[in-house]
Amino acid sequence: MSKPSSFSLRGRRALVAVKDERDLSIVRRQFERLGIDIFTWETGDALECRPDVALIDDEFLPLASPAQRALPGRCPVIALLGTETPSRLKLVLELDPASFLVKPLRSAGIYAALVLAFERAERTNELKQQVVKLEERLRSRRVVLAAVLQVMHSHAVAEPAAFALIRRAAMEQRKTIEQMSAEIAANGSLPRATG
Amino acid sequence: MHKFRRPHAQQISKTSRTDIGDDNFLKASLRRKSSMTKPSVPVGIICSQSGPYHAMGREILKSALMAVDEINNHPDFDFSLTAHVRDPRGVISEYHTVCDDLIRNTGVEHIIGCYTSASRKQVLPIVERTDRLLWYPARYEGFECSDNVIYVGASPNHNVLPLVRYMLDNISRQVFCVGSNYVWTWETNRVTRELVTAAQGSILAERLLELGEGAVEHIVDEIVRRKPPVVFNTLVGSSSYDFIRAFHAATTAARLEIPMLSCSLCEPELKIVGPASAGCITSSAYFESIQLPENRAFVQRWKARYGETSSPSVDGQSAYVAVYLLARALSRAGTSSIGEVRRAAAGYRYNSPQGPVWIDGDNNHCVLTPRLAVSNAQGQFDLFWEADAPVKPDPYLTQLDVAAGPARETSRAEASPIAPHLRVVK
Repeated sequence: MSKPSSFSLRGRRALVAVKDERDLSIVRRQFERLGIDIFTWETGDALECRPDVALIDDEFLPLASPAQRALPGRCPVIALLGTETPSRLKLVLELDPASFLVKPLRSAGIYAALVLAFERAERTNELKQQVVKLEERLRSRRVVLAAVLQVMHSHAVAEPAAFALIRRAAMEQRKTIEQMSAEIAANGSLPRATG
Repeated sequence: MHKFRRPHAQQISKTSRTDIGDDNFLKASLRRKSSMTKPSVPVGIICSQSGPYHAMGREILKSALMAVDEINNHPDFDFSLTAHVRDPRGVISEYHTVCDDLIRNTGVEHIIGCYTSASRKQVLPIVERTDRLLWYPARYEGFECSDNVIYVGASPNHNVLPLVRYMLDNISRQVFCVGSNYVWTWETNRVTRELVTAAQGSILAERLLELGEGAVEHIVDEIVRRKPPVVFNTLVGSSSYDFIRAFHAATTAARLEIPMLSCSLCEPELKIVGPASAGCITSSAYFESIQLPENRAFVQRWKARYGETSSPSVDGQSAYVAVYLLARALSRAGTSSIGEVRRAAAGYRYNSPQGPVWIDGDNNHCVLTPRLAVSNAQGQFDLFWEADAPVKPDPYLTQLDVAAGPARETSRAEASPIAPHLRVVK
C-alpha cells in the first residue's frame, strides 16, 4: 500500500485568487512542483470545488457574497499581503488566515506557508472538536448531578460513592457517564448488575 | 547582458581577484588570458579554499577552472569564459560579501559555486534581487526551488533515498546516525527516520557535532558499546575524516564489523582519510570509477592537469558539469541574459562524465543517474548499483512513497508512471 511522506502535499486541491499575473504564475509553478491541483478563482465566480486550502490576495478583500465569506470556515486560508496597513490587515483578519505570504511572491516561502496552514487548520480542528465535547459535557452536568443525587438517595451513599457507582455502570456498559446519567435520571435507578 | 554573437558586444574581462594557495597550476590558469578573438563572458566562482570544508571548495574550483579552460580552447564555442574567483574562506557571512562584490565589480550574470546550504542561502537573496543565476554544484537536502538557481547536484530523491532503501533492504532497520549539526544532516535524518519508521525499524541514536568539531571519541565509544547494525554518517569535512579514522580504529580493536553509510564521501576524501576509509557504502551521482567513455576521457584530462595521483570528486565533477551546462546554454541562447540562458538550459541533454544529464525546466534541478558504491583500499569506489535511466529530480520529495521499495519513488525523467528498473553494476 502506498503511503506519501508526511510532508508531501501531493494531490491537495487549492483555490487560488491572485490578482497579479506574475504572482499567479509563481504560485502556479510552485504548486505544480508540489503536486497540488489549482483552481483559479475570481471573486465574482461561484465556488464550485471543495478546496483543501485557499490563497486569497488582499486585493480581493473584503469578500462580497455570503458564500465567499463562508470560505474560511471550509478550508485553511493563506492571505497574500500587499500592504501592512492596519486597515488592510483588519480585512485580512476577517479571513482568519492560517498563514500568509508577502507580495511580490517568490518561490521560497510558499511551501512553508502551505505546511503551516495545513498544520494550523488541523490543530484548530482538533481544538474545535475538543470545545464541542467540553460544551456537551458542560450541558450534561445537570443530568449527571441529578443522577448522582438519585443514586445517593436510593443507595444511601455519599456523593463520591454515588459517582463511583455511576462511573462503574457506565464502564460496564461501555457508555459515557453522561449517557448513563441520562438513563438513571429517566429510569429512576442504576442498572441492576451494578447495584 | 552579453550578446556574444554580435562583434560590438565583445567584452574583455576585468581583473580577477583570487587566492588559491599553493596550487601554481590554478594560478596559471587564472592568469591565462582568454582568446582575444572571441567575446568574453565573465563568470563568478565562489568557493572556500580554507575553513572546515576547504578540501571540497578546492575541488570545486579545480574542476570549474578545468572546464573554463576547455571551453575557452574549444572551437565549438564562439565565446570565452572569464573566471572571477572569490574565496569566502568558509566564513558564512563572507559569501554575501563576495557575491555582492562579484556582481557590483565584475558584472557577472552567472555565478558557479557555494558548497553548503548555509552558504547558498547567503547568496540567494542577492542573486534573486539582482536577477543573476547561481549554478550550484553540490548535492543538497532539497525543499528549495529558486528561479535564480540551477541546481546541478543531486536532489534528495537521487541521493538519500536509494541509500536508505538499500540499507533497509540489505543491512538493517536499526540505524545509528551521526552527522554535522546543520540543515543537511537534519533533513537527511528526517527523511531517514520517516523511511525507517515506515519499515518498522528505528533510529537507535542521532548524534550531532558542530561543523569542524574533531572530538569524536565519545560517539565512537558509544557505537562500540551499543554495537548498532549500521552507522549512517552525514558528517562533513574534517569532522567526518576524524570520525571515520576513530571509528575504524575502535571497531577494528573491538573486532566489530559495522557497515558505515555516507551520501557525501568522495575520492579525494578517501585519500585524506587514508586506509580507514575502505568499506564505506556511498550514494552519489558520480564516482571516478564510472566506466563511460566520457568519464574515462575526463579522468585522463584531470590527471594530466592535476597529477596522476589526484582524483576528481562528485562536487568537483558537478562544478565541471555546471560550467559546461552554462556554456552550452549560453551558446544555444546567444546571450548571457539569464532568462534566455535558463530556457536554453532546460531539457538540453549533455553527455557528461557522470552520464547524460539535463536541467528539468519544471524545477531547475538536474536530471541525473543515482548510484551506490563501496569504497575500497585503493581510495576508489566499486560501483554495485545504478538506476538504468536518468531520474527526474524531486526536490520537495513530492513523489516519495515511504512504503515503497527502492525503485518506486524514482519517477522517470520522461515522466512515465513506470519506475526505472535498478540494475547491478558489475
